[in-house]
Amino acid sequence: MLLELSEEHKEHLAFLPQVDSAGKLNVSSDTVQHGVEGLTYLLTESSKLMISELDFQDSVFVLGFSEELNKLLLQLYLDNRKEIRTILSELAPSLPSYHNLEWRLDVQLASRSLRQQIKPAVTIKLHLNQNGDHNTKVLQTDPATLLHLVQQLEQALEEMKTNHCRRVVRNIK
Amino acid sequence: MELSESVQKGFQMLADPRSFDSNAFTLLLRAAFQSLLDAQADEAVLDHPDLKHIDPVVLKHCHAAAATYILEAGKHRADKSTLSTYLEDCKFDRERIELFCTEYQNNKNSLEILLGSIGRSLPHITDVSWRLEYQIKNTDSPSYPEISFSCSMEQLQDLVGKLKDASKSLERATQL
Repeated sequence: MLLELSEEHKEHLAFLPQVDSAGKLNVSSDTVQHGVEGLTYLLTESSKLMISELDFQDSVFVLGFSEELNKLLLQLYLDNRKEIRTILSELAPSLPSYHNLEWRLDVQLASRSLRQQIKPAVTIKLHLNQNGDHNTKVLQTDPATLLHLVQQLEQALEEMKTNHCRRVVRNIK
Repeated sequence: MELSESVQKGFQMLADPRSFDSNAFTLLLRAAFQSLLDAQADEAVLDHPDLKHIDPVVLKHCHAAAATYILEAGKHRADKSTLSTYLEDCKFDRERIELFCTEYQNNKNSLEILLGSIGRSLPHITDVSWRLEYQIKNTDSPSYPEISFSCSMEQLQDLVGKLKDASKSLERATQL
C-alpha cells in the first residue's frame, strides 16, 4: 500500500534535502515547522498503516530525494515504527470507563429557607478511568429516578441476553 | 420567629377597620399570597379598584409586612396557634384571624414547595440512556455533552447491582 502524500505534504517535506549536515538552518521558522510536521506525518501514517519497506520506499520516491536521504528516512521508519504504534494506541480517543460506584442515602432535614423537612436523596460517587487517569464524579438523585435508572439499566442487561446480541458476539471476532 | 417592628406596624394597620375594611383586608391578604406564590404575578397585584382609596404607602407597607410574615411562618412551619397568638398581639379581631389562617392553610403546600426548592445541591441525575456496542475496532468516538462512560457486561452488572442495593436500602428506610 502506498502512502498518499498531498501536494502540501510534499511541499513541506521538500525542505529536508536543504538541511546541511552541520545542522544550521538558514530558513524561516515556518519552513522548519512545516518540515518537522511533514516528517512527523510521514512517519506516523506509515507506522499507523504498518506499510512495508517496499511501499515506504515507493511512497517516498515521489518526493524526488537523493538515494542517501531515502535510505535515511527508511531507516528512521523501521527503527521507530514500533514505538510510534505504541504511542498511537494510547492516543486513541476513548470514553472514560466505569471503575466503581459508591452510594449513600441522605435525608435533608432542614435548609435555610425551610425547616422540618424530610427530603430523601441518593448521593453517588462514580469512579471512572480514562487513559490511566482515575477521576470521580459526585452526583445526586431522588428515589423515583433511582428506581427508573435501575429499571433502564436492567433492560440493557436483558438486551445482552437476546438471541440477536448473542449471535453477534458469537460470530464476530 | 423573629419579626421586625416594621412587620408589626404593618399588621397593626391591617387590623384597623378604619384603614382596611373587610373587603380591602381580604384583597390585600390574597395579593400577598399571590405575589409570593404565583410565578406570573406582577406589580399590578395591588392595583385593585377596591384598594384605590388607601394611601399607596400604607398599602405597600402592609403588603410587605404580610409577605414577610407569611414567609417566616412558612419557613418555621408555624401552626394555627402560633399564627393566632401573633395576630392577636397585633390587635386582629377574631374574624380577621380566621380569615388569615384559612388563607394560610389553603396556600401552605405551595408555600412549602417554594421554600423547599430554594438552595444548592449536587448535580442531579434525571435520566439515563444506554447503548450496547460490540467493539470490533477503535474508531473515532464523538464527544458527548453529558457524563458518558463505557462498561463491560461485568461492570454493568456491578453498577446495576450497586444501584439496586441503594434502592433496597431506600425501601427499608421508608419502612422504619
